Amino acid sequence: MNERTQQQIQKQGKAFFSFIFKFFLGIVFIMPLIFCIFYSFKPETQIPVTPPTLFTKTPTLMHYAWVLTHMPFFTYVKNSLIVCFISIASQITLSSLAAYGFSFFEFPGKKQLFSVVLATMMIPSDIVIIMNYSLIQKLGLLDTYLALVFPTLISGTAIFMMRQYYLTIPRSLKDAATIDGCTDMGFLFKIAVPLSVPTIASLGLYLFINIYNLFLWPLLVTNTDTMRTVQIGISMIVTSERLEYGPLLAGATCCVVPVILIFIFGQDYIVNGMIAGAVKG
Amino acid sequence: MEIKKKTKKIRYTPYLLIAPSLLLFCMFIYFPFVKSFLFSFAVTNRRGELVKWVGLSNWIRMLSKPEFWGIVVVSLKFALINLVSTLLTSMIFALLCTRPGLFSKSYQLFYSLPLAIASAPAAAIWTFLFKQEGGILNWVLGTHFAWTQEANTALLSCALVNVWMNIGASFIFLLVGFRSVPLEMIESATIDGAGPFGKTIHVMIPIASPQIFFVFFLNIITSFTTFAPIRLLTDGGPSTTTTTLIYAVYKWGIQNGRFETSCVYAMTLFLFIFCTTRIQMALEKRTVYYQ
Repeated sequence: MNERTQQQIQKQGKAFFSFIFKFFLGIVFIMPLIFCIFYSFKPETQIPVTPPTLFTKTPTLMHYAWVLTHMPFFTYVKNSLIVCFISIASQITLSSLAAYGFSFFEFPGKKQLFSVVLATMMIPSDIVIIMNYSLIQKLGLLDTYLALVFPTLISGTAIFMMRQYYLTIPRSLKDAATIDGCTDMGFLFKIAVPLSVPTIASLGLYLFINIYNLFLWPLLVTNTDTMRTVQIGISMIVTSERLEYGPLLAGATCCVVPVILIFIFGQDYIVNGMIAGAVKG
Repeated sequence: MEIKKKTKKIRYTPYLLIAPSLLLFCMFIYFPFVKSFLFSFAVTNRRGELVKWVGLSNWIRMLSKPEFWGIVVVSLKFALINLVSTLLTSMIFALLCTRPGLFSKSYQLFYSLPLAIASAPAAAIWTFLFKQEGGILNWVLGTHFAWTQEANTALLSCALVNVWMNIGASFIFLLVGFRSVPLEMIESATIDGAGPFGKTIHVMIPIASPQIFFVFFLNIITSFTTFAPIRLLTDGGPSTTTTTLIYAVYKWGIQNGRFETSCVYAMTLFLFIFCTTRIQMALEKRTVYYQ
């Protein structure tokens, strides 16, 4: 009995130390982020100080005030959200339609057309970005929302993910619905889409992180302050002539904190989305 | 009459469902892709309009320049540093989390968190850490590098930011792999006298090979298309030490307005990514151990 308790205590102790070690390693790994958040509240004079300390006796919001007064930060946020909303809505709608076509119907050329969809994943958008830019420029669409959302209106990943889910819906369900007089579109909107809500949530969160974080495309197609996204706003502080670290960190904090909160609360959905979106075999 | 109508309806519906997506793909992927390919054989003006066809002369002119090969070497070097560091670190993290333990969700969150951080703020954060005077990284390492401005460290700095951002995703995929190892298998290996290292090499890694394989190639492709850290930290410099293929595409296309040169770089980049994917597919059939 005594020996058993001792063993148990030993085991618990081991688990505790292993936790402390792994937790500490995790903290070290996200230390850059922690520095960023804490230093954004420090007065400018305390920023280039060694050894580094996290806390300050005189916390200040001046860097946040700088970000809000020197650039239309809320406009950037608004633009980012509009772009994300349009792109995500479009991807969810179009990919549900296409996935429904690819999973519940048999038609000539199905395999070939699906390869056309999958092949888009082999051509990263960065390769065609210059030609897309020149097209948008020629159409006179620079500095418009249409230009910003253009290459993210649909993606192979979205179609693939929705299709993977639709394949798990039993065929017999559709046959039964058809016998009951349900049309093809009726089945999609009344049965398939409601069933796929968790998948749509995963896809939506996954897309939000990707689209909110886009950099090169918004950099190319926006020239005016009223159309820039948050990412471009931050990059303008990084590349400005006189680099000021306080505003830089305050801007970065404003930019990452919302996404991090979404990530923390939607973790399971996002992870599921990533795993489902990864094409294997 | 009734039957005929019905079969006709079934025939057209799937095409109509797929059409909008395919149309968009053609507009922003296939059309510009074909155009990039063709324009790499042409001369264009500053607005990106065709002036005349010149056959292979763009390719010959560029392939004979050391600058081109320098950019290829930088891209490969960058990919290699990224691949090795990301794969090793995320593997260690995933192995540490294989068995869910005390509050394991907390540190799992830490290991995957940077994947939510975009490249622009990540570059901002690291610009601060890389600072030469009173910078935190120099203080930790006891060095005095101007990280992003010295030829020796510039590429490494960009890679470091990229690795930091990419570990999260790799960690998540690898964790799925390592967690799929049946507990009995680990236990029987323990009974056979395998230590933690032996278990990792002989049991964990072979069973998680599909995920390791996927992460391996994922990281190569991600590194080839990394743009923001390079643009924001080093701007391709000093001289061309951090000019990768994707950066060259941007530099020639946007900054210099030479679309045909940009297209040659874009097609070279595509070739690299295409070959990587082909190798992945070929090897996957042969070497990956599926349960």
